[in-house]
Amino acid sequence: MAAKPTFSQEISNLLYASKGNPLKTCIQCGTCSGTCPVAEFMDQTPRRLIGMINANLKEDVLACNTYWFCASCYHCTARCPSKIDIAEVMYAVKRYSIWHKTYSEDLVGPTFSETFVRTIVNSGRSFEPVLAPTYMFSMGIKEVLQEAYMGTQMMLKGRMPVLPTKIKRLDNFKEMIRRIIPVGGGK
Amino acid sequence: MKKFAYFPGCSLEKIALSYNTSSVETAKILGVELQELEDWNCCGATTYFHVDQLLAYTLVARNLAIAEKEGLDLVAPCSACYKNAYFTNKYIKEEPDLAEHINYALEEDDLQFNGNIDVHHIMDIFVNEVGMDEIKEKVTKPLEGLRVAPYYGCQIVRPRKNGEEIENPQFFEELVSAMGADPADFPERLRCCSASLIMTSRRAALDMVRVILQNAVDSEADVIATACPLCQVNLECYQPQVNDEFGTDYKMPVIYFTQLLGLALGMSKKKLGIGKELVSAAPIFGEF
Amino acid sequence: MTQTRLLIIDDDPDYVDGIKSILEKADYEVDVAYNPKDGFKALETGKYDLLLLDIMMGRGAEGVMVARKINKDPVLRETPVLIITGVREQIAFLFPGQPVHPRFLPTDELLEKPVDPNLLLEKVEALLKEAKAKKAE
Ligand code: SF4
Ligand code: SF4
Repeated sequence: MAAKPTFSQEISNLLYASKGNPLKTCIQCGTCSGTCPVAEFMDQTPRRLIGMINANLKEDVLACNTYWFCASCYHCTARCPSKIDIAEVMYAVKRYSIWHKTYSEDLVGPTFSETFVRTIVNSGRSFEPVLAPTYMFSMGIKEVLQEAYMGTQMMLKGRMPVLPTKIKRLDNFKEMIRRIIPVGGGK
Repeated sequence: MKKFAYFPGCSLEKIALSYNTSSVETAKILGVELQELEDWNCCGATTYFHVDQLLAYTLVARNLAIAEKEGLDLVAPCSACYKNAYFTNKYIKEEPDLAEHINYALEEDDLQFNGNIDVHHIMDIFVNEVGMDEIKEKVTKPLEGLRVAPYYGCQIVRPRKNGEEIENPQFFEELVSAMGADPADFPERLRCCSASLIMTSRRAALDMVRVILQNAVDSEADVIATACPLCQVNLECYQPQVNDEFGTDYKMPVIYFTQLLGLALGMSKKKLGIGKELVSAAPIFGEF
Repeated sequence: MTQTRLLIIDDDPDYVDGIKSILEKADYEVDVAYNPKDGFKALETGKYDLLLLDIMMGRGAEGVMVARKINKDPVLRETPVLIITGVREQIAFLFPGQPVHPRFLPTDELLEKPVDPNLLLEKVEALLKEAKAKKAE
C-alpha cells in the first residue's frame, strides 16, 4: 500500500490539478522569481519555495511569508517552462497552513481570509471595509483610508458596526453550504 | 437584442457603481442587454480558495445555475469574479463527481447546474460580441487627443482561458483606438495591481501600485483605463498613501473603460458616473 | 480465519501513523490511502471490511464527497464507514463552537480528532459486528 507521503507529496495531494502540476519537474530556472512582482518582499522567492517543497523542508516552508505574500497574479504560472501552476501551489500551502494551524499570529493574511469567508457564509455577500461604500464618497481620502483601516481592525475583532447586504434566499444558501461543509446548525 | 445574465459582484453594488451603470448603459447603446442576475451571491473572489475550494466552487455554481435557469451566458465586469466563474464552470464540466456533489448542495436552493452556459468578462462582450467595427460606427464623440494607458491587470488574461495571447494582448489597445483615443505604450499594463494584498501586506502593495503609476506617467498617459473594480480602487484610492510613503506626487486619474467608451458614444458624464473619482478626472475631460 | 482488513483514507501522515499502529496492535490489517482519489480506487477493489475516513482533504471537505459516492454504490455502501475528523478544529472560524453533523451519511459513525485509542477500537469492533450481523440476515 501507499508509502508514507513526503511533504512535497502532501502538497501535491492538496492540488486540484496535481496531475498536470508536477512540482518535481521544476528545473529551478528562476523565471517565476524574475516575474513575480512581490518577490522582493518575500522571505523566500517563488523559485526557492518550490525548491524547498521538493526538498521536503516542511518547517522552513511553513515558516516563511512567501505564500501569504503571493498576490495570485498568475504571472509565474503563465511563464513557467515546466508548466507548474505556482500560484495554485501557493494556495495549497495556505490551505495546509490553515488546516494545520501553523501560521504565525502576527500575519494579517490568515485572519483576514477567515473573516472574509465568514462574512460571506453568513450573508451571501462580501463586505471588505476597504470597499465600504458608505465611507468612500462622503469623506476626504485621508479619513476614508484611516476609516477603512480602522474598520478592518474592527471587523477582525468582530465589531464592525455596519452590516453588509444580505441575499434574499439566505436560509437556502446556508443549508447549501452545510451540504459542503458538514458543520453547524442544520435542519 | 443580445442578452446576457449580468453578475455585478459585490464591489459594483456601491463602491464601483459607476462601472456598473456605465457597463449597462454602454452595452445597451451597442445592442446588448445586461440583465442583472436574480439574487446573486458573492463569489468569494480569490480569498476563498485559501480555505476551501469545494465551497468556493459551490458559491460560484449557484450563480451559474441561476444564469443557466434563465438560459443566458454569464457576464462579469470584475476580473476576479470572472476568473472564478470561468474556472468553476470549466472544472464542473470536466469532473462529473464534482458536478454531482455541487448539484447536491444546490438542491437546497432548488437549483441545478448542467454546465450549459459560457462565462465572459465584460470586455469580451465589447471586443468580440459587439466588435470594433460596430463600436467605431457608433462613436459620435471620438476622444481625440486623449492618451489612455490600457491597464489589463491579471485575470482577464491570466491564467490562460481559451488559448488567447497572454504575453502581448492587443484587444484593449484596439478598443481604445476604436474610441478615437490614443493608446499609450504602457509596458506595465499586465503587472499585478496588488489589490489582494492591500489589506494584508500594505507596504508591498503600495510599492506595486507605485510601479504601475510611474509607468503610466512615463508613458505620458492622461488617464489609466481599467476593466476591474479591484484594480480601479487600488490604483486610484491609494495614490495619497503611495505619495506619503514614497515622497511622490501622483495625481493620475483612473477610469473604467466603459466610462471612456460611454463618452465616445456621446453619453453624459453624469450618466457615466464621471465626477465620483477621488483623483479628479476633470482636467482631462474638460473638453469632452 | 483471514484477518480483518481496514482502509484509512486520510491526508495527514502523522495522524495516520498513530491510528494505524493502534489498529495493527489490535490485530487488524491496515492499508492507507493519502488522498481521496487513491482511496476510492482502493476501496473499489472490495478487499476491505471497514473504512476509516477523514473529511478535510484535497480541495476542501472531499471526505464528504467520498462518503456520498460510497453511499450511492449498491455494493460499496455495505462497507461500514467510521468518519474520523478534525473538521471542527480545522475550520472552527466558520462555525465556532458548533457540532459536526454527519447528515451526509446518516447510518455511520463519527469520531472527532484527537481520538481516544480505546474508543476507536470499540467503535471499529461495533461497526464490524453490526455489518456482519446485517450480512447474515
Ligand atoms: S519557473 Fe517553474 S521551473 Fe522555473 S524555477 Fe519557477 S517553478 Fe521552477
Ligand atoms: S502568482 Fe504569486 S508567486 Fe506568482 S508571480 Fe504572482 S504574486 Fe508572484
